Amino acid sequence: MARTLRFHVFRYNPQDPASTPHMDAYVLDETESMTLYIALTRIREEQDPSLMFDFCCRAGVCGSCAMVINGRPGLGCHTKTADLPERITLLPLPFFKLVGDLGVDTGTWFREMYTRVESWIHTEKQFDPASEEERMDNETAEQIYELDRCIECGCCVAACGTARMREDFLGAAGLNRLARFMIDPRDQRSDKEYFDVVGNDQGIFGCMGLLACEDVCPKHLPLQDQLGYMRRKMAMNALTRILPWKK
Amino acid sequence: MPLEATAPLAKPGRAAAYLDWLQMLTGAFLILFMWGHLLMVSSVLFGRGAMNGIAGFLETTGLAQLGGPVIAVAFLLHFVLAARKIPFTSKEQRTAVGHAKMLHHTDTWLWIVQVVSAMVILVLGSIHMWTVLTDLYVGVPGSELGINAETSAARVQKWPWTLLYIVLLPLAELHVSIGFYRIGVKWGVIKRKGRKKAKLIEYIMAGAFLLIGTATLIRFLLMDVN
Amino acid sequence: MQTIFTDGLCIGAGLAGERAALEMAEAGFEVICLSLVPARRSHSVAAQGGMQAALGNCAMGEGDCPDVHFEDTVKGSDWGCDQEVARTFVDTAPVEMRRLAHWGVPWNRVVPGPKTYYKGGKAFEKVEAEEKSGLINARAFGGTAKWRTCFASDGTGHAVLYTMDNRAAQLGVTVVDRTEAIALIHDGENCLGAIVRCLRTGELVTYLARATMIATGGFGRIYRNSTNAVINDGGGCIIAQDTGLVPLGNMEAVQFHPTGIVPSDILVTEGCRGDGGTLLDKDQQRFMHEYEPEKAELASRDVVSRWMTHHMRQGKGVQSPYGEHLWLDIRHLGEEHIRTKLREVDEICQSFLGVDPVDSLIAVRPTQHYSMGGVRTDGTGAAYGLKGLFSAGEACCWDMHGFNRLGGNSLAETVVAGGIVGKTMAEFLAGCEVSFPTATIRDIEKREQERMDGLLSNVGGDGEDAFQVREAMFDVLDYAAGIYRNGTDLERGVAELQEIHQRSLNVSLKSNGLGANPEIALALKLPGMVRLALSVTYGALMRTESRGSHTREDHPERNDRDWLNRTLAYWKPGAELPLLEYEPASPSMAIPPGDRGYGGGKIISADEPKPSE
Ligand SMILES: Cc1cc2nc3c(=O)[nH]c(=O)nc-3n(C[C@H](O)[C@H](O)[C@H](O)COP(=O)(O)OP(=O)(O)OC[C@H]3O[C@@H](n4cnc5c(N)ncnc54)[C@H](O)[C@@H]3O)c2cc1C
Ligand code: HEM
Ligand code: HEM
Ligand code: SF4
Ligand code: F3S
Ligand code: FES
Repeated sequence: MARTLRFHVFRYNPQDPASTPHMDAYVLDETESMTLYIALTRIREEQDPSLMFDFCCRAGVCGSCAMVINGRPGLGCHTKTADLPERITLLPLPFFKLVGDLGVDTGTWFREMYTRVESWIHTEKQFDPASEEERMDNETAEQIYELDRCIECGCCVAACGTARMREDFLGAAGLNRLARFMIDPRDQRSDKEYFDVVGNDQGIFGCMGLLACEDVCPKHLPLQDQLGYMRRKMAMNALTRILPWKK
Repeated sequence: MPLEATAPLAKPGRAAAYLDWLQMLTGAFLILFMWGHLLMVSSVLFGRGAMNGIAGFLETTGLAQLGGPVIAVAFLLHFVLAARKIPFTSKEQRTAVGHAKMLHHTDTWLWIVQVVSAMVILVLGSIHMWTVLTDLYVGVPGSELGINAETSAARVQKWPWTLLYIVLLPLAELHVSIGFYRIGVKWGVIKRKGRKKAKLIEYIMAGAFLLIGTATLIRFLLMDVN
Repeated sequence: MQTIFTDGLCIGAGLAGERAALEMAEAGFEVICLSLVPARRSHSVAAQGGMQAALGNCAMGEGDCPDVHFEDTVKGSDWGCDQEVARTFVDTAPVEMRRLAHWGVPWNRVVPGPKTYYKGGKAFEKVEAEEKSGLINARAFGGTAKWRTCFASDGTGHAVLYTMDNRAAQLGVTVVDRTEAIALIHDGENCLGAIVRCLRTGELVTYLARATMIATGGFGRIYRNSTNAVINDGGGCIIAQDTGLVPLGNMEAVQFHPTGIVPSDILVTEGCRGDGGTLLDKDQQRFMHEYEPEKAELASRDVVSRWMTHHMRQGKGVQSPYGEHLWLDIRHLGEEHIRTKLREVDEICQSFLGVDPVDSLIAVRPTQHYSMGGVRTDGTGAAYGLKGLFSAGEACCWDMHGFNRLGGNSLAETVVAGGIVGKTMAEFLAGCEVSFPTATIRDIEKREQERMDGLLSNVGGDGEDAFQVREAMFDVLDYAAGIYRNGTDLERGVAELQEIHQRSLNVSLKSNGLGANPEIALALKLPGMVRLALSVTYGALMRTESRGSHTREDHPERNDRDWLNRTLAYWKPGAELPLLEYEPASPSMAIPPGDRGYGGGKIISADEPKPSE
C-alpha cells in the first residue's frame, strides 16, 4: 500500500481549437480499494476539472467507462489500481469517435449496429393483454440471457484487429447480438434472413478469429463459441442453398 | 432524423460464404500437403534409399506429375482468397501493427506472423516449387531428372539456395500451425474450454515439425553429393 | 440556435421515458427521447433484483393477486401513497410483465418439481406445479407477503431496458444521447419543450414539443454517498421546479440502504445479513444485538441503517480515507456458501474492493438509495402546474410509494407508469393544438445562453469552485438530512444550504468550459441541485413526525392526525426557500391507516384530539 501512482492520460478536446492531442501526467497517492473510477474522479475534482471521461453506474453494468488501460481495453470502474503497476497509461478506446480525452462515442456506433442487425423480435403475433404469457423453457430463457448480457462497452470492437482495419465490420458485439435472436424462439426470422444480415465480409465472414474480443470482454460473454457457431451455421446455410430444390 | 451512418447495408449475396469455404478448404488441403510433404522429404533421415523410394513411387505412378500442378493451383488460389484479408496499404499495415503492439495479445500477434510469413512463403515457396517441379539444374553435374535425394541435397547445399530453405522452413511451419489452430477457432471446432489445450498442441506441432525439418535440412547439408 | 420540432419529447431514455415514447410512437406520433448517456446506459440497467407483479405463478406466490400486492404497497408506503394510483399500478403490472415477455425479455420461467430455497440461512423445500411450467417465475423480496418479483437472472433492469430500447429502435423512436435538458420552455400555462445542451459540443439546442415528459430518474447524487449512477443528479426535477409553477412532491422521503460498499457505494444484497452475516464496528465487535435484541442484523432496512448511523455517531465507526464506515462480516458462512449462494456479493468484493469475503471484512455504510419524491403528477401522469408537461418513473411523484417504496416496485413502476403516461400523452397529442409564441421562446433561449456565456466569459475568475460548493452541500445533507433527522440539525442545515445556494450562483470555472467539459456541466446544474437539497431539508424540518423512511429523532411517532399528507415544494422565482404546500395523501383510503406490522413505532391516529395549546 501507500504507493504513489503516476497516471499518463491522453488529452484532446476536439471542440477547443487550441487543443492538440497529447499526454498529461497526474500523481496520486493510492488508497485502499482504489479503482480507476475513484482515481479519475479524484484527479478531476482535485487537480484538473477539465478532464473528460465517462462513468455512469460505476458498478460494471452500464458499459460507459471502457478505456485502454496499459494497452488493454477494459472498464475503468472495474479495474483496481492494486492490480496495476505504479505507472498507469490511459487512452481512449480506438475505433470509436473521440468525444474528448478518455470519452468516446460508443452510443452512435451501437445504435447503428442494432439497426443493422435489426436487434428486436420479429414476429407476426399480436400482443393480447387478456391472455396468459406464452410459455418458454427456463433453460432457453437462461441461454438467451447469457447472450443478452453484453453491456455494449465496445471493448471487443476496439480490441479487434479486423474492426480496426475495416470500419464496417459488425464486430463480436454485433454478431453476438444476432446470435441472441437466433436462439430466441419468439423471433420468427428464417436462417436466410439472418444470413442476409451477417453472411458477408462485414459480418461473420470478416472475422479472422483473432479472439481479442473473447479475451477482453469484461462480461466474459462466450464470444469465441458464438462466432464459431455462427460461421458454421451461415456457411452451411449458403452451401445448402446451392441445391436447386432448396432454392 | 438520420443517424450518423458509418456503414451501408451490405448487399445480400452468398459470395462471401463460398469464398470463406474455399479459403478454409485450400488452407486445410495445403496443411495436409505440407505435413505429407515434410514427412516424405524427411524420409531422407532414414537414408537416401528411403527418400528415393518414395520419390520414385510418386514419379512412376504419376502422382508427382499430377500433384505438382494441383498444389501449385491450390497455393495460388489460397493466396488470392487470403489476400482479401491481408492489409496491403501502408495505412492498414500501420494500423494492424500499431494495434498488435498496443494490445500485447498473443492471438493478434499470431495473425501478424501469419500474414508476414504468408508473403515470404508466397515468393520463396513459388520459387521452390518452380525449381523442384522443373528439375531446374542447379549446378550439380550428373544429377538425374526427377526428385531424388542427391539432387535435393545439391540444391540445398548450393548457396544462396540454402538460405531459401533456412528462411522458408520456419516460416512455413509457423504459417501452417497457426493456420491449423485458426481454422479450428474460426469454425468453432476449438471451443472456449479447449482453447488452451489447442494452443498448446499448436505450439508443440510447430516445434515438432520445425525439429524434423531442421534435422532434414542438416542431413541434406551434410550429405555427400558426389 | 438550432430548433427542433417534435410531437412528443421525453427527457430521459430510461425505462420510464422509453416506455412512454413507445406508446406515442405506436399511436403514430413523432417522439424524441433525450438522454445524458446512450439510452441503454440509463440507470435502470443497474437494477438487478427484479420487478413486482402479482402473477402468482410460482409455488411461493400461490394465491397472490393484485389485492395482496396492493396491501403490501400501501403498508410499505406507511400510508403515504395515493391509494388510487397504487391500485392502478398493481392491476396493470401483470399485463406489463407479459407485454415485456412478448417484446423479448428473457424472464426466468417456472420449472416444475421440488426445489430447495434458503431463508435466514436455513434450507426449505417447495414444489413448483406442473401446470405452471414455463410461465414467468418470481423470487422473494423484502416487505412482500408472497414471492412476486419477476426477474431475468441477475440482470432484470438490463434485460428489460435492452428490450425496451430494441423496441424503440424498431418503432423509429429517436434517442439523442449526450444531451442535457437545462430548462423547460413554457408560457406560464403550457409547457412547450426544453432548452437542451449538447454534451459533445457544449452548444444549446431548442426542442419544441406539444407534449413534454420528465423521466430523468432519481436525484440520489445530491448526496455524497449514493447507490445511484453518477448521472442521477436530478436534472429533470430541477428544471420542473425552476418553472416556479410545478411542485415537487414529498422531497423529504429519501430511502437509504444499509449496505453500500466503501468506497464505490455499490449495493450488496440484504441476503448477506439474511444468511447470517453480521455487522462489526471498529473494535470488530457486533453491536446490532444491543440495539435490537431480538432481530439484531435481521431487522428491516431502515432500522438497521438507523442503528448503524447511531453507532458511528457513538465514535464506533472505522476511519478511512473515504470517511467512516462499519464492517460486514460473512467469513463464518464458509467458502462454499459464499462462492455459490452469495456469488454476486463475492464478485462485487473481488472486482471492486479487491478483498476476498471468505477471509476479509467488507467495508459498508448506509447509503442513499431511492428518491420517493419528484415531479408531482396526477394519476394520469400530468404534472401539476403546467399543461403539456408529464412525468413518470423515479423522477416523478405519481405517488404509489409514499414514504417508503418496496424493493421491486420501482422498476415495475417505470413500465406501468410509463405505459399509462404514454397513453395520456398520446391522447393529449391527439386532442391538442399548441401555438409556440416565438418571443417567449426567444426570451428563455436568451436567458439560458446568457447563463452559460456568463460562466464562459469568467473563466479563472475569483468566484467559487464548483466542486467545493458541491462538497459543502454534501456535508450538510450528511448531517441534517440523512437517515436520522432532528429539528436542530435541520434548522442549521437549512440555513447553511441557503448560504451554499448563494455560493452556487457565484461559481467561476477553472477550466475553459469548452465541448464536453465536465466542470461547466456541473456549474450549470449546481444551483438547482442545492435547491433540491433545500427542498429535502426544509420539507424534513417542517414534517414533525416519522413516517416510512423519514425519521425524526425528536418526533418518533407517525402522526396521522397532522401529517397524513403530501408535501408540495414550489420554488418561486428569486425565492430563497421553497414554498411548501400540503395535500391529502390519498383521495380515498381503501385501506385505512394502521400498523405496518414491522418497523415498530408509535402512531398518533387521525382521530386523536390535538393537545390543547
Ligand atoms: C443499485 C440499484 C439497484 C436497484 N434495484 C432495483 C430492483 O431490483 N428493483 C426495483 O424495482 N428497483 C430497483 N432500483 C430502482 C430502479 O432501478 C429505478 O428507480 C428505476 O430504474 C428508475 O428508472 P427511470 O426510467 O425513472 O430512470 P433512469 O433509468 O435513471 O433514467 C433516467 C434517464 O434520464 C436521463 N436524464 C437525466 N437527466 C437528464 C437531463 N437533464 N436531460 C436529459 N436526460 C436526462 C438519463 O440519461 C436517463 O436516460 C434500483 C436502484 C439502484 C440504484
Ligand atoms: C503451403 C502453404 C500454405 C499453407 C499450408 C497455408 C495454410 C493456411 C491455413 C490453414 C490458413 C487458415 C485458413 C483460414 O483461416 O480459413 C491460412 C490462412 C492464411 N493464409 Fe495461408 N497457407 C499457405 C500459403 C499461403 C500463402 C502463399 C499466402 C499468401 C501470400 C497465405 C496467406 C494466408 C493468410 C493471409 C491467411 C489468414 C487469412 C485469415 O485469417 O482469414 N498463405 N493459411
Ligand atoms: C508440389 C510442390 C512441392 C514439391 C514437389 C516439393 C518438393 C520438395 C523437395 C523435393 C524438397 C527437398 C529439397 C529440394 O529438393 O529442394 C523440398 C523441401 C522443402 N520444401 Fe517443398 N515441395 C513442394 C512445395 C512446397 C511448398 C508449397 C512449400 C512451402 C510453402 C515447400 C517448402 C519446403 C521446405 C521448407 C523444404 C525444406 C524442408 C526441410 O528441409 O525439412 N515446399 N520440397
Ligand atoms: S461483447 Fe463484451 S466486450 Fe463486447 S461490447 Fe459486449 S460486453 Fe463489451
Ligand atoms: S477479435 Fe475480431 S476477428 Fe473475430 S474473433 Fe474477435 S471478432
Ligand atoms: S461506469 Fe458503468 S460499467 Fe463502468
